[in-house]
Amino acid sequence: MTSPRIRLWDLPTRIFHWGLVLCIAGAVISGQIGGGLIEWHGRIGLAVVGLIVFRLVWGIVGSTYARFLHFFPTPGNIKAYLRGDWQGEGHNPLGALAVFGLLALVAIQAVTGLFSNDDIAFVGPLFDLVGRDLSNRLTGIHHLASNILIGLVVLHIAAVMFYLHARKQNLVKPMITGWKEGHGKSASGGGAVALVVALVLAVGAVYGASGAWLPEPPPPPPTAETPSW
Amino acid sequence: MKSKLLLALLSLTLAGTAAAQVKPEDAIKFRQSGYTFMAWNMARIKANVEGTYNKEEVIKAANAIQAIANSGMGALYLPGTDKGKGWEDTRVKPELFTNKEGVAKVGMAFNKEANEMAKVAATGDQAAAKEQFGKLGGSCKGCHDDFKVKK
Repeated sequence: MTSPRIRLWDLPTRIFHWGLVLCIAGAVISGQIGGGLIEWHGRIGLAVVGLIVFRLVWGIVGSTYARFLHFFPTPGNIKAYLRGDWQGEGHNPLGALAVFGLLALVAIQAVTGLFSNDDIAFVGPLFDLVGRDLSNRLTGIHHLASNILIGLVVLHIAAVMFYLHARKQNLVKPMITGWKEGHGKSASGGGAVALVVALVLAVGAVYGASGAWLPEPPPPPPTAETPSW
Repeated sequence: MKSKLLLALLSLTLAGTAAAQVKPEDAIKFRQSGYTFMAWNMARIKANVEGTYNKEEVIKAANAIQAIANSGMGALYLPGTDKGKGWEDTRVKPELFTNKEGVAKVGMAFNKEANEMAKVAATGDQAAAKEQFGKLGGSCKGCHDDFKVKK
């Protein structure tokens, strides 16, 4: 006899989640080490742009529990949750705050990174659109927000551990398998069309962020004209 | 005792005259100019290791960076120049003036990589130059992380 279970997280949501985990880990490491790895830091940033845009679209057209409206935190349901009156599946109101916080911070990191420079030899792909002064300011925000983001990730992991040990509730497993033990309504929606729409918008965003559409810089003058001094 | 003191005073004066007097504002300008000029040369090396490799270009650029790295720019961090304006407001952190050991460490790391960059450039090996360019950039970051304000 199998115990009842529900479909909680659809596959795209799970791929997004673990993809973002890999990207954030890679970005933190490559950003801290720097040197030649800064090029990878930039590439990872472009991947994050794609992931974030995908998730934003999937939050509208995805399946039940992935939708922002499903778990949008309000003062009312946060209070209810803290009193222990909240009933439901998926992100609880407090967790939803973390989800939106993480999404916002990752988006800030990705966007500021596109215009950043490291005062060494690296510039973000859209650096030319803003100029050095604004780029320096955005780089400053990028550095500051990275610390806040790391803090929020630690809090997120701590909360998952708390649920696992104190509440005996494994949140990691459903994020891997998609299934959650218990009664309830399985997720629906988020079909093939929705997936294609989200993917196309994500790829379009990566293309826009890559700066590949920017006009080519003027070719350097021929070497014959370079003065010998 | 007296003669020793005199000698010390004399050598101090001599040392003072040997190093040209630099106004704080100029010192900050020289600093910023050095880094800006290195930035141009870093960009040149980058363009070459990532695109068509021109050995002569890379040698010129690497030698310029090596020369600046070995020019003793530390002398431009005069007391009191933790704040001030050169071409723009300085972005040095006050820690640079207090954490002598830390500064020496990142400074020497940068010198080492800059010298190595010039050596590698002379060989004309693009792959080796690309790798050394990464290390050189990493040594710039060593100082930026600890001693440059991120605004």
